[in-house]
Amino acid sequence: MEQNVLLDLSHISKRYKTELALKDINITLHKGEILGFLGPSGSGKTTTIKIITGQLRQTSGEAKILGTDTVNIDDSIYEKIGVVSDQSGIYEKMTVWQNLSMFAKIWRVPRIRVEEVLHQVELYGHRKKPAGKLSRGQTQRLVLARAVLHKPRILFLDEPTSGLDPSTAVSIHKMLLELKEEGMSIFLTTHNMEEATKLCDRVALLYQGKIAECGSPKELCLKYNQNKKYHLLLHNQEEVVLEQSPQNIAKISEWMQRDEIQCIHSCEPTLERVFLQVTGASLGLANI
Amino acid sequence: MENINKLTAVAQIKWICISRNTAIMIGPILTVAMVWICKILYGINSGGDLSPMLVSLLLNLGISLNLCLDGFIMVGTAIAEEKEKHTLRVLMTSSITGMQYFIGSIIFPFVLMNIINIVVLLISGVSMSQVSVAAFLLVSAAASLISCVMGMIVGLCAKNQMNANLISYPLMFVFMMIPMFGNLSEKLHHISGFLFTGVLTEMAGGFAEGIPYTFKALDITVLIAELVISILVFLMLYRRNGYEKD
Repeated sequence: MEQNVLLDLSHISKRYKTELALKDINITLHKGEILGFLGPSGSGKTTTIKIITGQLRQTSGEAKILGTDTVNIDDSIYEKIGVVSDQSGIYEKMTVWQNLSMFAKIWRVPRIRVEEVLHQVELYGHRKKPAGKLSRGQTQRLVLARAVLHKPRILFLDEPTSGLDPSTAVSIHKMLLELKEEGMSIFLTTHNMEEATKLCDRVALLYQGKIAECGSPKELCLKYNQNKKYHLLLHNQEEVVLEQSPQNIAKISEWMQRDEIQCIHSCEPTLERVFLQVTGASLGLANI
Repeated sequence: MENINKLTAVAQIKWICISRNTAIMIGPILTVAMVWICKILYGINSGGDLSPMLVSLLLNLGISLNLCLDGFIMVGTAIAEEKEKHTLRVLMTSSITGMQYFIGSIIFPFVLMNIINIVVLLISGVSMSQVSVAAFLLVSAAASLISCVMGMIVGLCAKNQMNANLISYPLMFVFMMIPMFGNLSEKLHHISGFLFTGVLTEMAGGFAEGIPYTFKALDITVLIAELVISILVFLMLYRRNGYEKD
């Protein structure tokens, strides 16, 4: 395994009785990379995380985490990775500080690190508050703080901003980018395409248990930009969308020369459109 | 050292969660209160001094309540609460092993149960000169341990706290009611001798009536057999789904 490849999934499949939940998944995660696993509910995102983190056994294929086959990992692997799911709970009757200090004891993390993480997630001022009294956004920040307390090499995030208000989601995005800067690798599952575009170095589009497409968000958007179009706003407030053709190029050129264009944008597809095009399916767009 | 740290952390988490859960902590408080109130009421009715039979009844009530309410309910409900609040998986994905979780989960209830047994013994009015303290502590520890393992089984099977209580009721019916009503029926008294709760209440009843305690082969067999059976049932269920079914 390449030294900076922290995660390597090779031909992973998972069958639940009659249903095939994952089909021939192949993907790698490199050091300091954010990898997005995108797909609608039920596409196999959580199953993948559970297989990688040793909570579930694959039906076939090989999964290696930090150089070790997931079949051979034991509980000590959790000292090197952090896991956040949309259902990660907190001890509501404990204070924010106690919630972290208990896990600091488990991972032998010094007290100063607890303070550092609390400052990072902006919960230091709430450290004496019972965790059950935190808002949903603050709770999610506490969950994230707990997951990164022991400076894991890989952080698994299963729908980390699901159901959060936009400002909290933005603060979590900021924190994830900071963690990436520190060299942490992040495996992120989401059905929020905007989030994936903003955060991920590479994304894998998962549909019905299969990776339909994989690459950087920019690469994928350009790859599926088959009918090139341009969106223009003219000075007379008229909005036009023009396809790329010799006539339209001439028209745009003429408008430019006469300074009639207020703004111009290329219309490459969003990740959401790419997903629709690749799979022909909806992502549960209400959640996007 | 590393294991001790993890064990201490789990035990501390359990201590905080259990001691702040009113629905669970009502058990030990109720046990002590019941024995104390009954002692006053029996005293009023019998004109002051309690007969050895009434002291035996008090001990029977307190010990049975303690072993069942605090064992099955306290341990079982605490695990069920972790499942309900989604903290069990967090703990199990933080490098805590199944064994560390098991031991950490029963330390506080085990200690509390033994303390309550001693408190019940002290407030029942039994003459301490008639009590074989070492034997009582030993059998109390064994019975508390069995009760804790059964509580772990309850926790393993329960989906939530309500469910844990429901699963505990049949166990309580057998292990609490039979020794409790053993004084009223010869048959129940006989069956009680085959229950871990019955072994301890029988021993305490003997102290109340001034009968010196000697270890009987049946008592030892019952305690060992029920401990082994409960551990085997626990392991069988644990191997099937772990602490939480996916």
